[in-house]
Amino acid sequence: MTTADQLDARDGLRDAARSLLGRESSSERVRALLDDPVGFDPKLWEQMADLGWLGLMVPETDGGEGAGFGEVAVVLQELGRQLTPSPFLASAVLATSALILGGDEAQRREWLPALAAGDRIATVGLTGRSGRYTADFVEVTATQTDDGWTLDGVTAFVPDAGVADLLVVRARSRQGELAVLVDPEGPNVRVEPTPTVDHTRRLATVHFDGVCVPGTAELGAIGAASIVRALLDRATIALALDAAGGAARILEFTVEYVKQREQFGRPVGSFQAVKHKCADMLVWSQGATAAAEHAADIVDSDPAAVEEVAALAGSYALDAFARVAGDAMQAHGGIGFTWEHDCHLFFKRAKLDQQLYGDPATHRDRLARMRIAGAIGTDSS
Amino acid sequence: MALIEETPELARLRADVRGWLDRNLPRGWEERLRGAASDEFVAFHKDWVCTLDDGGWLVPHWPAEHGGGYSVAEQVVIQEEMARARAPELRVHMISLNHAAATLVEHGNPEQQQHLTAIRRGEIWCQGFSEPNAGSDLAGLQTRAVRDGDDYIVNGQKIWSSMANHATFALLLARTDPDVPKRKGISYFMLDLDTPGIDIRPIYQATGDPEFCEMFLTDVRIPAENRFGEEGEGWRIAQTTLANERASSIIDLHERLREAVDRIAGEAAITPRGSGTAADDADVRQALARAAADVDVLGLLAGRVLRRLARSGDIGPEASIIKLFYSETLQRLTDVGVEVRGLPAQLDQGRPFAGSWTSGDWLLDHIGSWTWTIAGGTNEIQRNVIGERVLGLPREPALS
Repeated sequence: MTTADQLDARDGLRDAARSLLGRESSSERVRALLDDPVGFDPKLWEQMADLGWLGLMVPETDGGEGAGFGEVAVVLQELGRQLTPSPFLASAVLATSALILGGDEAQRREWLPALAAGDRIATVGLTGRSGRYTADFVEVTATQTDDGWTLDGVTAFVPDAGVADLLVVRARSRQGELAVLVDPEGPNVRVEPTPTVDHTRRLATVHFDGVCVPGTAELGAIGAASIVRALLDRATIALALDAAGGAARILEFTVEYVKQREQFGRPVGSFQAVKHKCADMLVWSQGATAAAEHAADIVDSDPAAVEEVAALAGSYALDAFARVAGDAMQAHGGIGFTWEHDCHLFFKRAKLDQQLYGDPATHRDRLARMRIAGAIGTDSS
Repeated sequence: MALIEETPELARLRADVRGWLDRNLPRGWEERLRGAASDEFVAFHKDWVCTLDDGGWLVPHWPAEHGGGYSVAEQVVIQEEMARARAPELRVHMISLNHAAATLVEHGNPEQQQHLTAIRRGEIWCQGFSEPNAGSDLAGLQTRAVRDGDDYIVNGQKIWSSMANHATFALLLARTDPDVPKRKGISYFMLDLDTPGIDIRPIYQATGDPEFCEMFLTDVRIPAENRFGEEGEGWRIAQTTLANERASSIIDLHERLREAVDRIAGEAAITPRGSGTAADDADVRQALARAAADVDVLGLLAGRVLRRLARSGDIGPEASIIKLFYSETLQRLTDVGVEVRGLPAQLDQGRPFAGSWTSGDWLLDHIGSWTWTIAGGTNEIQRNVIGERVLGLPREPALS
């Protein structure tokens, strides 16, 4: 459970993040990055590093802040509010988690301080071109050699692979699933950008054509399947937090708009058809925040329960954001459908969030299976 | 999912309540009351209220001097244990234990406050608020109270008064001044239902239960000392007592939804469907998970409201969000229960009258859920409240 001191510290972090991102990741700045080849603002990245955000959950002994996922959650929500294009999710959340959970002493020493300092960027490749996350769909095969592995195949929908110095890749082998560290600029590796409708995230397909990696590149502190499960759960929770931030923000400017826009001689927000839509948007938005923040707290307090709360947050918050963003476009009328208005940016991010690490229906299926198993267990005990 | 951090003191309280329920909750009460007439059910409920009072668990939400004084966190623990044990929901006494008690505590004179003791021993109160032409527009009520010496003489018609046919007293809103704006001309009374001129007729609702009534008032005399507050203050007082509706009751309602999710999930695993069970059906799993997620999110939202209440003492308009969320979740979840059970859900097994919102007779529970989406301010009204008081959207212009 979270202490009052922690809550105060989070409030401080939230205020600082809102102020910095409001300035450095305004709508104009975000739009300027939409067609930028790099896809994020390196100056902002440096500021985030200086503020300690990139190492929030990295232990102090590994060069980080020694905080937890609950603090990372604050930054994720604020990035979602501003639609900030940033390798934060890929590097500071997912790859960092992979190294903390599965890295040995040498791997941690080599990478965690550099990632926390923002000097280097890392990402993870967890699926193939199907975008499905069950092991059957992994398209990278690893063949054991005398001193390591040879990788062949592709991993797809990899965030920020184009700017990454390190890739944590999920592969299958005759010996089972594994997670290995690969240099994306190394021999026989090719990063192919795959533009998406949402321009605030940069995804790529990474091709491996006989890539040799040493045995020391394998993440082995815990089993690869456990690492992958933990990464997918954290990715889902991170997207739920992004969604909660985005939904809250788009609701705010929708309410401002319908208070001011007049038709039939009065503000359109006074009409129940619009007012009730806004009320529902608020309920979805608050529910998304509650589910996502709760899941983030559970990452720190009760690792055994993370899978279930990730399924809950993924079920609820990802749909909530898409729905709120769609309703926002509707409540704005014609202006909300134009390129110059930000509605479509939020809607596109919401639709990508819904699919990026497992869609809500998949999360619901997992949630239902867990509940059914739990109910039978309870009955038979 | 714990809503409140469990301290050792709370854990001890929890064990106390659990132990007490083990010893005192009548076993198999739901089965025994299947098909019972409403009189029998009300008698059972009065007994249960007395049992709870003897145990000290009936009114934890009241002030200490009247037998309560438990913190919000302690109330949450008590409610959770009641729900987990599937103790009877206190629907028959809902108005007595909450609205009437809050009104008596805040606005009653010492003599009127004697009723707090009677309420703890099972005295039933009902509400005389709505009228045939004053539902969502409650302030438009037309029942008239005219001062006559030390009395008021009341004429009019009330409707949707739950349990009025079993009640001893009513909380009554009536117009004392028709010449001022509608909210300013209303006064608030306690009405002894034995007074001559009162005709109470049960209304059978969609579930077949006679849970609410209409009340005809013809030249009914109410002593002036039975008015709460000053003349014309009725609307304001009624609003405060409505807002003070026992906040922790959401814990009870939420806990019962959680338990219902478990029951429906368990039922899905053993209900034949196709070549397997309902749990093998992907659509069933989607519907179940949606409802389960809603129930969890409701608990998280309620936890936030209760923590704020514990800190600031104020619920605020966010209570409308909880009411909206609870009622729609109840409606969807009970429909999932119907879907999982299939055709056997159509069997009428005489579920206990007013027993539970999630009795397990899912079709009747589902039909009963409209009580929640309509009563106490329809969900459309709740959306207006959320839009106007939480989001600050402009009111609709009044008709001139």
